[in-house]
Amino acid sequence: MSKLGRGQREKMQQFMTITGASDKVSLQTLKASDWHLEGAFDIFYSQPQIQAHTDSRHLEKLYNRYKDPSVDMILADGISLLCTDLKVDPQDIVMLVVSWHMKAATMCEFSKNEFIDGLEALGIDSLEKFREKMPFMRSELRDEQKFREIYNFAFGWAKEKGQKSLALDTAIGMWQLLFAEKQWPYVEHWCQFLQARHNKAISRDTWSQLLEFARAVDSSLSNYDAEGAWPYLIDEFVEYLKENGVIKSS
Amino acid sequence: MGAKIIQFDQGWSCLQKGITKLKKILEGAPGGHFSSEEYMALYSTIYNMCSQNSPNYSQQLYEKYGESLTEYIRATVLPSIAENHGEFMLREFVNRWANHKVMVRWLSHFFSYLDRWFVSQKSLPRLKEAGLVVFRECVYEKVKSNVVACVIGFIDKEREGGRIDRGLLKNVVDVFVEVGMGQMGGYEVDFEAEMLADSGEHYSRKAVSWILEDSCPDYMVKAEECLRREKERASHYLHSSSEQKLVEKVQHELLVVHAHQLIDKEHSGFRALIRGDKVEDLSRMFRLYHKIPKGLEPVANVFKQQVTDEGKALVQQAEDAASSQQGSNGAGAEVGLVLIREILELHDKYMAYVTGCFMNHSVFHKALKEAFEVFCNKSVAGISSAELLAGFCDNLLKKGTSEKLSDEIIEETLEKVVVLLAYYSDKDLYAEFCRKKLARRLLFDRSCNEDHEKSFLTKLKQQCGGQFASKMQGMVTDMTLAKDIQTNFEQYLGTNPNVKPGIDLSVTVLKTGCWPNYKSSDLNLPQEMVKCVEVFKGFYDSQTKRRKLAWIYSLGTCNIVGKFEPKPIELVVSTYQAALLLLFNDSDRLSFSEILTQLKLTNEDLVRLLSSLSCAKYKILIKEPNTKTVKPDDNFVFNSMFTDKMRKIRIPLPPMVDEKKKVTEDVDKERKYAIDAALVRIMKSRKVLGHQKLVMECVEMVQSIFKPDIKTIKKRIEDLITRDYLERDHEDSNMFKYVA
Repeated sequence: MSKLGRGQREKMQQFMTITGASDKVSLQTLKASDWHLEGAFDIFYSQPQIQAHTDSRHLEKLYNRYKDPSVDMILADGISLLCTDLKVDPQDIVMLVVSWHMKAATMCEFSKNEFIDGLEALGIDSLEKFREKMPFMRSELRDEQKFREIYNFAFGWAKEKGQKSLALDTAIGMWQLLFAEKQWPYVEHWCQFLQARHNKAISRDTWSQLLEFARAVDSSLSNYDAEGAWPYLIDEFVEYLKENGVIKSS
Repeated sequence: MGAKIIQFDQGWSCLQKGITKLKKILEGAPGGHFSSEEYMALYSTIYNMCSQNSPNYSQQLYEKYGESLTEYIRATVLPSIAENHGEFMLREFVNRWANHKVMVRWLSHFFSYLDRWFVSQKSLPRLKEAGLVVFRECVYEKVKSNVVACVIGFIDKEREGGRIDRGLLKNVVDVFVEVGMGQMGGYEVDFEAEMLADSGEHYSRKAVSWILEDSCPDYMVKAEECLRREKERASHYLHSSSEQKLVEKVQHELLVVHAHQLIDKEHSGFRALIRGDKVEDLSRMFRLYHKIPKGLEPVANVFKQQVTDEGKALVQQAEDAASSQQGSNGAGAEVGLVLIREILELHDKYMAYVTGCFMNHSVFHKALKEAFEVFCNKSVAGISSAELLAGFCDNLLKKGTSEKLSDEIIEETLEKVVVLLAYYSDKDLYAEFCRKKLARRLLFDRSCNEDHEKSFLTKLKQQCGGQFASKMQGMVTDMTLAKDIQTNFEQYLGTNPNVKPGIDLSVTVLKTGCWPNYKSSDLNLPQEMVKCVEVFKGFYDSQTKRRKLAWIYSLGTCNIVGKFEPKPIELVVSTYQAALLLLFNDSDRLSFSEILTQLKLTNEDLVRLLSSLSCAKYKILIKEPNTKTVKPDDNFVFNSMFTDKMRKIRIPLPPMVDEKKKVTEDVDKERKYAIDAALVRIMKSRKVLGHQKLVMECVEMVQSIFKPDIKTIKKRIEDLITRDYLERDHEDSNMFKYVA
């Protein structure tokens, strides 16, 4: 390996931290992009992930470690254990990303298929590989498109089975988690508003439209269109902000 | 004659003589005419000079033709016009043109051979045309501005009242037209434009002084007169094409420029005319502004403002009256009756203007409609406009109102109410209130006249569509059926005397569906009434198959005789009250809780009942302690000493539920369904539609019944998304798609 200059080493460090790729892959990608970080990211994310070969026996063993004794599923205890093994907090948002990869139907449980197929797709068959993959999964939250998918997935995942809407408390918890990553300045106001004025479950439409709202409308709400198709709850929220002097009304 | 070659000078001198003679004739010298030999001589000379091969003098002769004319003009015509002024100048101008035409005619006859070959060969203008052009170029162009100024001077003189020679002016104008030789350009540019500009200035000056000095009616009279005169002027001595332009000019200066000042004049403008009912002046205003494109708009706007202000004042009056009567029951309702009547009168008054002075013009109909829409929908003393209108109708249709109106007046008034209904935005709310009130009228036999009821419903149907009054019509037909059932019941009793309940019973059977929903609490009936119910049930089951009767005691009335010591009095009470009173047949004194247990009613209902019998006007029961309100630890005793001068009294029971709230709730629910249905129907046919358009079309679809709230529509759209009827487009969240 040729000697790397200090600038290049720094870039490699940055790249690896952000994408979670191995040094070999990082080096390759950065060289291919002529040591431009932005270009390197483009290349990295547009390439399909290298499918590492997974050993199904290992996967089976892994599953059995966390499986609940009475049901053929991984339940809350099992997930707790998994988190401990992975050295992450169960509330850590990365677990949401994991669930998304597994296409988990409901939070706090994984079916056998979800677990095994999910890990296989990620190329994981051991705890070590799992741990290595964590930074990558974290980085996926920074991709606009993937974040939207994960966000919309979260609705179906967090709500109760058989319900059409998401309970308010759960929704608020999820929003606080998600928008800590995404940095939306009004997340606290939104949650307060809902508790004070709405006090009912959240529909899927409101959930998905909130993300669009957070993305499209700027921090002074100058480009908010009152005649637009925003859900009425968002319209009420804007009025609430105006009433409380958070936003200047025009 | 042989082909004798004529030399130019030779020929020309001969012709010159002829031309000189012609000039003399034109100047009026005696002995003026050409004999046919002279004519022939001239003609042949020219003929020869033009037909000989060489030298061929066609070209020169053509030029000479023109020259003769121009020479004459320069030498004689122009000076003669120039040395004259004013009227004389105009006369010269006219005469010289006439002369010129004659000269051209003769000359072109002489030279006509040129017309045959030479002119078309060389593509030159024909002699006559060329000749007239000479006048145009040499005379007309030079003198036209003087002439025009002079003519305009005369026109202005006439406007100020002076006498002028109209015939002369007409002749001058004709010259201008003829000189154009088929093209109006000359007339329009040289004369008409100046004339119009001058007329405009003239009237502009007049208008400025008149508008300050004159009252609106006077100004209008002057304007009308001016227009008449200008039209007459145009028909007398201007070209017909000028009439319209002149009239428009004058209209503009007199009526358009100062429209607002005129219409808004403080003591004599439109509003004052309306107040003073100055029909003639208003008609004049209409006539004057009608012909001006968009001229009626300012008038209509003031009209609309006037009507709106008057209407709003009525509403305010009602509001003030209601609040000053605060505390008295039904204050709002009474005030409402007065208000509706006043609004109807207002409508009659202003509609008369629209059909009369304003000739039924659509602009005024629209203004009237918009004005009424503003204030008709205002609520008074907390009562919605829909309820006020329904209350008014109820008053008309029920018996016992203080004023006895004739049938005709009732019909007429109902007709007017239906017309007024068009201005109300919450028609469905109105219908619901009507329905509730109709039910009360029908069930308590308070309707004054079945025919009026039916005709009213027919009128509503015509105005608002079949659906609107269908339930109410069902109710009316039901009453007829119910009467039949009662008759059959009485026959049945007649044939089965052993089943008789011992009390006269009449039952009204209603079909659920068109009647409002009535709640009836489970009353524990006294024994006598239980028997009645059983007997009727037996009869009904024998007549029909598989029908269930739900008894609504809250709507029943009972005539019960109170055996008071002074004298027996017949009491007309509700079934509940009767049930309560009958308890006192078995014991003189009962406590609140005892009554409660016996009748099985709720606390609130019992309090109401007992209040009506012990704390109101007629104290049938004595309450211990004798406080104003009924408390759960009170006791009640039959008041054997009760008496009244009447032999029969009605003891009213105030209704329990806040009817208004229920009605509004029901209507809101119906509206949600209506909006849902509209949204689905729209999306089903459009498949994909943007948010704004969807909302707009939805509003359009339902607005004949009610004015929908945009927020509600948004909520319904979201609800439909949750119920998977619609979905948002993935790319553009402002677009919706129909989910098949």
